[in-house]
Amino acid sequence: MSMFHLGWFVGRGLSPQSWPPGPFAGAGQAAWWDPQLYIDLAASLERAGFDYVMIEDGMFVPDVFGGTSEYYLAQAHLVPKMDPIPYLPLITRETAHIGVIATVTTSFYPPFLAARLATSLDHITGGRVGFNLVTSHNDRTAQNFGQPAQLEHDRRYAMAAEWMEAVNALWAGWDADAVLADEDSGVYVDPAKVRPADFAGEFFRTRGPLNTMPGPQRRPVICQAGGSPAGRAFGAAHADTIIAQSASAEAMRQYRDEITDLALAAGRDPKSIKILFSVSPVVDASAAAAAERAEAARAARRADIERTLASMSYVSGIDFSRFDLDQPLPPIRTNAAQASTAAFAVAGMTLREITQRDPAGPALVGTPDDVAVAMGEIMAYVGGDGFLINGPVERRYIAEISDGLGRALRRRGLVRDGYEHGTFRENLLAF
Amino acid sequence: MFHLGWFLSYDVHAWRDTWAGRGATEWVSPDFYIDMSRALERAGFDYLMFEDGSFVPDSYGSSPDWFLRHASAVPKHDPLTLLATLARATSHIGLIATMTTTFYPPFIAARLMATLDHLSGGRVGANLVTSHNIRTAQNYGLPGQIEHDQRYAIAAEWVEAVTALWASWQPGAVRADLASGVFTDPALVAPADFRGAHFATRGPLNIPAGPQRRPVICQAGGSPAGRDFGARYADTILAQVGSVEQMRDYRSDISARAAAHGRDPAEVKVLFLTSFVLADTDERAQQMYRAQVAATEANIEANLVAMSYASGRDFAAFDLDAPIPTVATNAARATTEHHLQARDGAVTLRDIAEKPPHTVRFIGSPDTVAAQLDEAMQHAGGDGFLVQGPVSRRAIAEIADGLAPALRRRGLIRDRYAHATLRENLRDF
Repeated sequence: MSMFHLGWFVGRGLSPQSWPPGPFAGAGQAAWWDPQLYIDLAASLERAGFDYVMIEDGMFVPDVFGGTSEYYLAQAHLVPKMDPIPYLPLITRETAHIGVIATVTTSFYPPFLAARLATSLDHITGGRVGFNLVTSHNDRTAQNFGQPAQLEHDRRYAMAAEWMEAVNALWAGWDADAVLADEDSGVYVDPAKVRPADFAGEFFRTRGPLNTMPGPQRRPVICQAGGSPAGRAFGAAHADTIIAQSASAEAMRQYRDEITDLALAAGRDPKSIKILFSVSPVVDASAAAAAERAEAARAARRADIERTLASMSYVSGIDFSRFDLDQPLPPIRTNAAQASTAAFAVAGMTLREITQRDPAGPALVGTPDDVAVAMGEIMAYVGGDGFLINGPVERRYIAEISDGLGRALRRRGLVRDGYEHGTFRENLLAF
Repeated sequence: MFHLGWFLSYDVHAWRDTWAGRGATEWVSPDFYIDMSRALERAGFDYLMFEDGSFVPDSYGSSPDWFLRHASAVPKHDPLTLLATLARATSHIGLIATMTTTFYPPFIAARLMATLDHLSGGRVGANLVTSHNIRTAQNYGLPGQIEHDQRYAIAAEWVEAVTALWASWQPGAVRADLASGVFTDPALVAPADFRGAHFATRGPLNIPAGPQRRPVICQAGGSPAGRDFGARYADTILAQVGSVEQMRDYRSDISARAAAHGRDPAEVKVLFLTSFVLADTDERAQQMYRAQVAATEANIEANLVAMSYASGRDFAAFDLDAPIPTVATNAARATTEHHLQARDGAVTLRDIAEKPPHTVRFIGSPDTVAAQLDEAMQHAGGDGFLVQGPVSRRAIAEIADGLAPALRRRGLIRDRYAHATLRENLRDF
């Protein structure tokens, strides 16, 4: 059986991870921003052979649910949220192999600023940085950047594609061997190997050249998460890794096949794109104990209808406090996160029914061995490329995954036992 | 007592000279700057300040060749990526990196600086520049750079916008109250709703302000518009002058401008760019100094390059033996004037290029220089010195372990940090 890849999704971004705190949340909720938790997370995952930690991000205070930010603020629901960029070097400094990915918005980061930032980080992290590119779906983000509202959904992806071209042009402005640093001749950079980007598009212009020299990866790992047709096309054209949420092994396989077709259409080797499917395993010492925990989590989720509605409002930009819980949901149209919204807003179901459903994704509940076997079977069926763990960023859960599930996977030869290469991309493409 | 800072870039430092060590490659690694910030913390420095720029210079010879070959201002990495790592490796020293108000979106800037302020325990600052080079503007999609004074008008609005974002969370907004289950008190968070001629941002920021609430603001522009901007907003100003007399004038000018903006002039600390020649004996230091001057004067090209860099004009294109050209620039105006000001009977461009202007300079044994600094600062009336010079471990040790102990013995610099945050330590004396 061939090996697959593992990533971890810090899905709340750098927000308070445990609010309200559960029995194993640890102390220190007031120091919610302390980087030590993320350093420990990455070090644990590195022990387990993970490819990367991916940190979600957003630049707005949500205020859709109930037309106010009250719920989100009081419940620490996706706010406050620190800028993940400065955390990356802190994490790589205390680890040696694992990749770190921060989310960057193509709608509001000037290409030159982003290209230079990525290259600087690529040097500092020793070639272990990645950018997860998003287009920012919320109107509040647009207003934080002086726009009246966010651009139309597919237009944002057109802009993202041009943004990618612009930063690629900047990264390509220096040849790999431009830096000589020759102490005898006194020539540091060979001027013949540096040239302007001279990029001029519909949304962006940048002259270049970049004033940084190429980092170990030259181009950081590009990650992409959008599940809409426009999002998938963008990912297939540009991403090194795509993260996806699919309800079943069958749906994962379809997704993998679709990205393969899109990649071929874009003239890329489909193997150069690693798709990691979001899962939330629950492991414990016995299958019964794991089932009990999964059931308790499900019951808690079902009881907290308000939290689910607030999340749905956040993703869609639609205030779900305004709908009758027991009436069938009318068709929903959104300019925000379309694929994520479509996944829950099933017309005809009542809102209450929707809040009682289990989240998409295969149920992986059992002993570490049970779950390892199930993951192996799913991946053998899907044909690649791996899983993205989406669970609480709490030290007990981290240890269960890294030292329980990770061990079981390794003993079966399903995940790597040590890293072969120096850079994130090389390790990602190693199998 | 007076304050000390160190001025540098995140670029190639000494890489070919006697004390370069592994300078050709190690300038990229945070390790070097960690060692440096720890050394300066040991010495009681207020801060390290990283200058920055976002362009490959190509004014001299109308080509980037000279700059690339000599690693002169290129490659240069984004210093904001270093600050968190340096903060984690130190406990007291302030860490300042440069941001351009012309091109950094206010929301990203406000959030990044607030994040860094949390991570550092309130020890970061932003050195605000307007970006003088046409290439920077073109890298950001504009045809040319905006007019000099207009850039400062934009900068002022930018500060208002980021300040409004930092103020969008009142102190105490984060309660993390286990009993009530309330994490953030919604009543203490409000939109910024900033709307100006150049920027608009709704807010609120999606994180609370850090320990300093407003990170320290540093400013370096010496033009009237630049000084006015600094006097209005900055906590610390770096000034480039040629003599102790000019230090005093600069400090008085900033005081007058700060008072005109309704500020207590003591809130603005002016640090003067200063270079040092330190040796075991005064005689040896003087010898080294003479050798340095001879080398600088012989290197006409390097001096022409410096003039081209600051002005954006190609000084390779002028006749060296014709009278000093009149150069109007939209780039770094004060620096260009500093380069071109008539001195010592200079008539031609060659005269000027052979005798580049110098910053304030002190030469001698650590003890001698400490005494000179004391005298200079008494005359200038404040507030301190910003070391500008070679960045190598030997140069750092000469300052941190030679000059600083001599200053401390005389009670001229702090013996320990009285406060937790950079702003408090700056305002301590």
